[in-house]
Amino acid sequence: MTESDLTSTPGEPSHDDAAFFASVVAEVEQEAARRTEEGDYPRALLRRLDETFRRWIPEGGRSTGIDDAIRSIEAASYIDAGVPVESNRRAGTAVKTAVRKATYFYHRHMAQQIAALGIQITRPLRLLATTTRQLEQRIVALEDRVDLNVASRDELLAMLPDPLLDPPSYELISRHLAGVAGRILVGEVQGSGLVRHLVDAGLDAYGVGPTTDPHATLELSPEHLDEHLQRLEDGVLGGAVLVGAPDRLALNEQVRMIDSTVRRCGNDARVVVIATDPGHWGTRVGPVAADLTGSRPLHPATWRHLLERAGVSDTSISAGDDGIANIIVGTVRR
Amino acid sequence: MTLQVHQLVPTITPRDAVGNHTFRLREILRSMGYSSDIFAMFRHGEVAGDTYLADQLPSDAHAVIYQFSIGSPLAERWARHPGRRLVNYHNITPVELVGRWDGLLDAEVRLGRQQMADYATRCHHAICDSEFNQSELDELGYVSTETIPVLFDVAASPPDKAITGSIKRSKRGLQVLFVGRIAPNKAHHDLVAAVKVVRDVYGNDAHLHIVGTDGPPGYRRLVDEIVQTAEMSQHVTFHGSVSQSALVAFYQATDVFLCLSDHEGFCVPVIEAMHHGLPVVAYDCTAVGGTVGDGGLLLADKHPMIVGAALARIAQDQGLADHLAAAGRRRSADFTLERTTERFKASLTRVLDHPPDQP
Repeated sequence: MTESDLTSTPGEPSHDDAAFFASVVAEVEQEAARRTEEGDYPRALLRRLDETFRRWIPEGGRSTGIDDAIRSIEAASYIDAGVPVESNRRAGTAVKTAVRKATYFYHRHMAQQIAALGIQITRPLRLLATTTRQLEQRIVALEDRVDLNVASRDELLAMLPDPLLDPPSYELISRHLAGVAGRILVGEVQGSGLVRHLVDAGLDAYGVGPTTDPHATLELSPEHLDEHLQRLEDGVLGGAVLVGAPDRLALNEQVRMIDSTVRRCGNDARVVVIATDPGHWGTRVGPVAADLTGSRPLHPATWRHLLERAGVSDTSISAGDDGIANIIVGTVRR
Repeated sequence: MTLQVHQLVPTITPRDAVGNHTFRLREILRSMGYSSDIFAMFRHGEVAGDTYLADQLPSDAHAVIYQFSIGSPLAERWARHPGRRLVNYHNITPVELVGRWDGLLDAEVRLGRQQMADYATRCHHAICDSEFNQSELDELGYVSTETIPVLFDVAASPPDKAITGSIKRSKRGLQVLFVGRIAPNKAHHDLVAAVKVVRDVYGNDAHLHIVGTDGPPGYRRLVDEIVQTAEMSQHVTFHGSVSQSALVAFYQATDVFLCLSDHEGFCVPVIEAMHHGLPVVAYDCTAVGGTVGDGGLLLADKHPMIVGAALARIAQDQGLADHLAAAGRRRSADFTLERTTERFKASLTRVLDHPPDQP
């Protein structure tokens, strides 16, 4: 259906607006997918916004919430002794005004005591808030020391390409995963090619990644891999393909990723790690990213060691068709 | 003897959705011949003379309607009342969406959700703003529920010409509007990202107008940071709370109403936008889909690329914009004050025509 087929006469009553608008939405989704495939997708920008959101979203009880809560308590404990005197009846207003005048000295005295109590309550809360803020500043300083610059690292990471895989590599991966019982996680995906290939091969695959393409036909969730893994129960996955993330993470994150991925896999689940060979890393991403991201893909033997240490057997290493990526596969045995 | 049917509400203020609804419902009850007043724990000064404190609620009232949108100790007073106990449920925002932004709201929301569950067997009948709200109470085991929209009269003042003129004079691209409190469940950060895509990917000099009061300060700071990070400071305007005539001007002078909320119990501004012929694009979640109905574009996914493509399509396709405007006007006619008033009268006639009994 073309765009002109879909446009309608202005103001014309439609008996099937819902169907018409649903077809427009389908076209809109196709347009978004087409723009994405053509490279219009502002990947770095959207990742930066996502990171900004994550950085500013408060954890429960962090100082932002405490400060606002204290301000609310202070406001609420400030009692106005001048009670309203409006009334439905004319005489009521006069009576209330007289009572207010007569009892004002009493109410003012009570209100002053309640306000003083409010101040006494909020004082230790302010002290607590200050301590929390100081702790937070120390943590941020510590993070800065171990992690060069979060914002610039995120921007650089967003621009790193996934390892290039050709159809023969896809075949190798789908053959290894064939026949697994359970869902197959692919993370973190930037494009949808591998997930699409696995689904076309009859596998129950889905992808997670912060910048997934908006393809309606595939199950792609815009999550970080580590957050997704935290949400899963142990032993629920039939297979897992780690791609992209192995290249982008720092050493401690890489080790944690392998351990938690294997934990989420059931017995006999198949695991695949696709990582750029460290020898080609610098030339592939350029010197700036190689120096500043703090990320460094591991040697294939190291990936194999980490997988085996986490409980993966029958491991093997293949070189990708481009000669740059390594594909390490294995089976979880418990 | 005139039967008493009163309303109980934690806080009554003159110009918010639940406050307006409560006053309109009181008029309906009075027009039906009941003696009806509003009892509240906290009363705004402007309405103190027209309402009563909660502890003055007569224990011999035939029925008490509790306006339920937040947790409050007042709910316990309603639950213990010997008359017929009705709930008018406006939904409670899930704690996951608001709790971390506001410590006090966190406690009130948790209490509200707990009270919702606890009072299922104490409630004789529940009237919900939307089918989404009704489904929540049905799941909790409320024995008698129905859906009747919130009572509201669409903003119908003459438009503020200064605002209309200002928007039209400065207009270079698509003018996108959202009306609602700046709160995390309304997802203003997603609005900014979507309009950024319209600007960067589609080359449209789009502008985002945000009307509404500030909610949790932490969330407002986050939205400001998102605006800065996206380099959108010149292309997003926060107008704050505005008068009725200003609101009408925004509905009439902008090009599209965009709602990407993660949680709404009804969403009155969607209907107001439709009434004024403003095309509506909305993320289909919670009650939003039910409110928009077939009067707007409902997106199953609010990825900025998809929302951006939808906005760009409306900007480029005047036929679609006109079709949306016409469909929206038809849809908004389902929510006129007259029609909703009749539904309330029919329902109340049915459910109040029973002696007080214990469920």
